[in-house]
Amino acid sequence: MGQHQIVNNVDHKDIKINTVRSKEFGDNIWYSLTFVEEFRAIQAYYPIFFQKDADTGQFVPVSLFGFQHEENLFLNDKGWDAGYIPLSVARQPFTIGTQKKVIDGREQEDRILALDMDNKRVNKDVGESLFLEFGGNSDYLDTIADMMETLHNGVNQNTNFIKCLTELDLLEPFTLDVQLNDGSQYQMIGFYTINEEKLEQLPAEKLADLVSSGYLKAIHMTMASQGNVAHLIRRKNEQLGLA
Amino acid sequence: MSDQIKKIVIVGGGTAGWITAGKIAAEHTIVGNSDSVQIYVVESPNVMPIGVGEGTWPSMRETLKELGISEAEFLTECDASFKQASKFVNWGANVSKNNEDIYYHPFSLPSQFHEINLAKHWYKYRDQVSLSNAVCSQTILCEHNLAPKQITTPEYSFANNYGYHFDAGKFVPFLQKHCIDKLGVTQVLGDICGVNSHPNGDIKSVITKEFGDISGDLFIDCSGLHGLLLDKHYKIPFLSQQQFLFNDSALAVQVPYKDPEQDIASATISTAQKNGWIWDIGLQSRRGTGYVYSSAHCSDEEAEETLRKYISPSLGKQEQEKVNIRKLSINPGHREKFWHQNVVAVGMSAGFIEPLEASAIALIEQSAKFIANQLPKNRASMEHIATRFNDKFLNRWQQIIEFLKLHYVLSNRTDSQYWLDNKAINSIPEQLQTKLALWKIQSPYNYDTRFTEELFPSASYQYVYYGMGAKTDISFNRKYELETTKAEYLFQENRKITEQLLKVLPSNRALLNKIKQFGLSKI
Repeated sequence: MGQHQIVNNVDHKDIKINTVRSKEFGDNIWYSLTFVEEFRAIQAYYPIFFQKDADTGQFVPVSLFGFQHEENLFLNDKGWDAGYIPLSVARQPFTIGTQKKVIDGREQEDRILALDMDNKRVNKDVGESLFLEFGGNSDYLDTIADMMETLHNGVNQNTNFIKCLTELDLLEPFTLDVQLNDGSQYQMIGFYTINEEKLEQLPAEKLADLVSSGYLKAIHMTMASQGNVAHLIRRKNEQLGLA
Repeated sequence: MSDQIKKIVIVGGGTAGWITAGKIAAEHTIVGNSDSVQIYVVESPNVMPIGVGEGTWPSMRETLKELGISEAEFLTECDASFKQASKFVNWGANVSKNNEDIYYHPFSLPSQFHEINLAKHWYKYRDQVSLSNAVCSQTILCEHNLAPKQITTPEYSFANNYGYHFDAGKFVPFLQKHCIDKLGVTQVLGDICGVNSHPNGDIKSVITKEFGDISGDLFIDCSGLHGLLLDKHYKIPFLSQQQFLFNDSALAVQVPYKDPEQDIASATISTAQKNGWIWDIGLQSRRGTGYVYSSAHCSDEEAEETLRKYISPSLGKQEQEKVNIRKLSINPGHREKFWHQNVVAVGMSAGFIEPLEASAIALIEQSAKFIANQLPKNRASMEHIATRFNDKFLNRWQQIIEFLKLHYVLSNRTDSQYWLDNKAINSIPEQLQTKLALWKIQSPYNYDTRFTEELFPSASYQYVYYGMGAKTDISFNRKYELETTKAEYLFQENRKITEQLLKVLPSNRALLNKIKQFGLSKI
């Protein structure tokens, strides 16, 4: 756990965030949490699966970047080779916190932007400034603030989406079998995906609910995203000189 | 009288009544279809269920799952926790001087039990490691109060086999609600004051004060100690087993945790005393303890003193004096038969033996399962099924009696007449005497169980027999030699798995707290 500070233009006047994507900054991850809100962008590049959060046992959607621990097949010398970087990665080193405030005698919760000062990206020389010369927010900081807002809403939306999927019994365990060009095989367990058979058998009124909630779209994007496994295999073969 | 068996009337609504109702309904009743089997549970609005035992076997997982119950809901609503073993303390095991007088009977079988008898290969290491520690990871995990699974493990699945400890006072209403709401069982709140018979002696209906006659094709007597149908109506003789198992009294008391976040034990802890033994069961919100003893060897006052002495370290002297101790009587034995005419008894109306190894609820589940699986289609087929049921369950009672007795006869305790009497030859069932003679020259294994769906697998005999430090003259033959490499590999593998599980499994308390918050996934 790093040292988290509330972002402000006094303490963080000179702070810059290094946005380079590299192993050094911890981008060598093989999957990350994703959000229904960004499924459209994610499914253009990465497979989407579901996993159980080790701490809560609750399902969460994840986007996959590699086949084993610390393997991000999108990461190379030049950075992260994809047109979209998932929110949960792009937000580093910021987090969102809540602060209780009493306004007109009523307690309200305010969301606040916090910065992990121990994160290697935080420095005073290289990268994006948080504040302009006279204390105004930089465009970068505004982008981050928007991102964090999306992320905050995304957590709730994910919870509702997962609740809907489990209530309809639409998730099933799934073993990802990967075979490389040299015949070597990987088997990954612990992933879950949409049970297409169950989806097809849903009664009309349930399907109608899925359409109106927008979740049917998310379900279809999840299913379509699986085609990206083939791209991951291609990248892996290239990396190993097997292409 | 309709020849078809369509209407089942269960008399009595305790643990036995509702488990039986649930199991049969889950298999036969189609909700909303009056042509399918209909189940009525007639229970007195005035009789409080006894709530036998708070420990179950792993079979309860299957039962709850079949009934379509959410495991998380059950755990939370019934104050339940995970039971992975029975732990025996001070039973007079023949252990070397440096070792404590403790052994476990875990629910997990020795690894690859059906392929290899590891006990034979463990035997040469018996001074270094207990059988249960050598062949499975469960005992060590129990010593650390660890859960049998993780929050990511689907409901009813496990890393180590488990049953439950629960509050019977909460379990019965929980099950009742589920059976009525989800499984289409009808509850009749009425006091039974008589029966009407068919000319052939079958019961035609039971008479209730509130609703008059309630007719049925099959009656299940779950009236517990009241023994309304099998005992009072049919007068089926009772076979006392007190000559083998002396315990006929129990004092029970609830013990609060000192700290609400205190560790919850993974096993039923059974601590032998001068004239019986004390059970100790950890639920989420409290512990349940009790002294089971023989009234021929010990007065109630002496028993109470023993129990108070046991609980005072955890309560303090002052609190200890305030607790409310409840007395229960046990008449150890069972009916001569359980299925007679169109009546079958399940639960305490069939019989009851002291709660060592918690067989009461398991026997209810097995009886209910048998009735559900083999439910006679018509009256004509009932005779054959009744005969089969009676054979099978007489044998099961015999097995329970033998297995419980095994715990006593191997003891080296000589500190009271109770323990001496327990070793007297005429107090040991003949079948057990034969087994004990055989086990001196061959280790308990698969020839020691005679039927499929045994109550206790032969692994249980091994855990207790060797846990008590009993000996076998292991014969070394060609097969033994050939198996040695595999056995050594399995011992090593077990150590590795144990190490891994020690790192990843949460404590019972931590997992139960999480389940309360997040539930358990079905997949």
